[in-house]
Amino acid sequence: MEFFKKFILFLIFLLIFVSNLTAETIELRILYINDFHGFANPYKPLGSEKLLGGVSHLAEMVKKLRNEKPSIFLAAGDMIQGDNWANLFEGKSVIELMNAMEFDVMVVGNHEFDFGLEVLKQRILEARFPILGANVEGLELLKPYIIKEISDIKIAIVGIVTEDTPVSTHPKNVKGLTFLSPEKTVEKYIKELKSQVNIIIVLSHIGHYADRKLAEKIKGINIIVGGHSHTKIEKPILINETIVVQAWEHGKALGVLDLTLMDGKITKFEGYLKEISPEKIDAKISVKAIVDKYNEMVDAVLSEKIGVAQTDFDGENVRKKETNLGNFIADIIKKTAKADIAIINGGGIRASIKKGDITVKDIYSVLPFNNYIVAIKLTGKQIKEALEHGVSAIEKGEGRFPQVSGIKFSYNRDNKPGFRIQEVFIGEKPLELDKEYSVATNDFLAAGGDGYKVFGEAIKASKDFVIIGGVMKGQKVIYSDSSRYLRDVVVEYIKNEKIINYTTEGRITEIKD
Amino acid sequence: MRIFVNNKPVTLLPGMTVKHALIKAELLEEIEAGKKVYDEWGNELGLDGELAEGVKLFVRTKEINKFTK
Repeated sequence: MEFFKKFILFLIFLLIFVSNLTAETIELRILYINDFHGFANPYKPLGSEKLLGGVSHLAEMVKKLRNEKPSIFLAAGDMIQGDNWANLFEGKSVIELMNAMEFDVMVVGNHEFDFGLEVLKQRILEARFPILGANVEGLELLKPYIIKEISDIKIAIVGIVTEDTPVSTHPKNVKGLTFLSPEKTVEKYIKELKSQVNIIIVLSHIGHYADRKLAEKIKGINIIVGGHSHTKIEKPILINETIVVQAWEHGKALGVLDLTLMDGKITKFEGYLKEISPEKIDAKISVKAIVDKYNEMVDAVLSEKIGVAQTDFDGENVRKKETNLGNFIADIIKKTAKADIAIINGGGIRASIKKGDITVKDIYSVLPFNNYIVAIKLTGKQIKEALEHGVSAIEKGEGRFPQVSGIKFSYNRDNKPGFRIQEVFIGEKPLELDKEYSVATNDFLAAGGDGYKVFGEAIKASKDFVIIGGVMKGQKVIYSDSSRYLRDVVVEYIKNEKIINYTTEGRITEIKD
Repeated sequence: MRIFVNNKPVTLLPGMTVKHALIKAELLEEIEAGKKVYDEWGNELGLDGELAEGVKLFVRTKEINKFTK
């Protein structure tokens, strides 16, 4: 009997030993980028003297790494919107690029919705790779997941996007769509897929913070390839049994995750970010031709005549006094947000427009920053504080000097800062200090830029953001549309009006002692 | 949305990004001067990175480039 037990044990050990000898080791490579935002050309990031990115250089690196072992190439969302190279073609240029680079799959990001649903549908149809959105209901062209088979390994890729998409793009862009809980969606698909595949990847556009929570809570995810928070995860992170990665932004880094599998299970992983820089990699392949083609088209679009200025529009004196260009832009902001008044910083206006033809480039030079329109409820007292702040450094010509719409005020620079504002009228009526008014501005001032603290105070007091009538609203916030830059709103306005003529009209009056 | 920059609370609109948080905290100039912004786990963040309730950001001197290959 004892001999028999020993013999059985021996057979078991032999079986394990032989099966280990015969188990097939497979190597797979996952390449990934996220939050590309159409940055096809290399650029120097703020605070850096080094050129980074450049999609033709990225493509070269992808090609090299793909040739080394079986690979899949993933995009974790926010690919088609952002830089002019993408925006001027509503993302078509990026899809052409991604087709040429042979992406395997992409998840939709919140900014993919910024050009509206019809444009997004067109982009999905142009893509020669599937676009995922498992937690998006109402857009049939988005697939919940795909299953790829590489070297006999079955890989399920489930795509999820942030549930906050309706408040991070204009709500009209997602009308009719429902964004379900990413967590519950992933749980549902894991149940469905776990018996069918060897590896489950969640291609996520919910941000690194949410990715970590997902990995902590949900069992069965092998890998989360993330986006949305633009996080530079230089080495893969292991949370429970889930590998979490993300590759920064704008194609400045390529994520590489190498897997070793035995009997269809991941037994080893190693990953890193490969810096993408024109100094390191030559760009020789066909992707460069696409980049160059659209660069030329960008120039053509920027040179397009959109209207005629019947007078010179003054962008030189916007830090010192009311100008017709300041009035023009402030009026458009007020009208777009349907606000009582508008206050913007003169420093946000960076060039003049000469009398004659106006091109897109003229407007992009006037408004070079990626600002968008926000409107917030302020009391009359807060408006007066904002104006006091606006004229508090007029001697220095600082950018905080206001340009306004729907409001008239006078000031005396001989008084101390904080005591300069004299009379203020909203429309034709004197400002009431206790009354609330809706004030349109740009996101820079809304965030407290140029020292405008009153907007921040109002935001702090605003709770319970909801979507009413197609626009995000809070207790104090009545408008916020991050999906359209101010400059594009102005371009559209001029295209509609065709001829523009503006004067100064005594909105801002300086009183001397 | 309330987040923290260098341990100080900052309130922002939904949809605002790392850049807006730094404007609010008056730290964008430090990025222009070469500092970087990191999350609570030490990962560098891009300025257009989206935020979430309770996120902690830290602005500090750039670390040695950790790209490994």
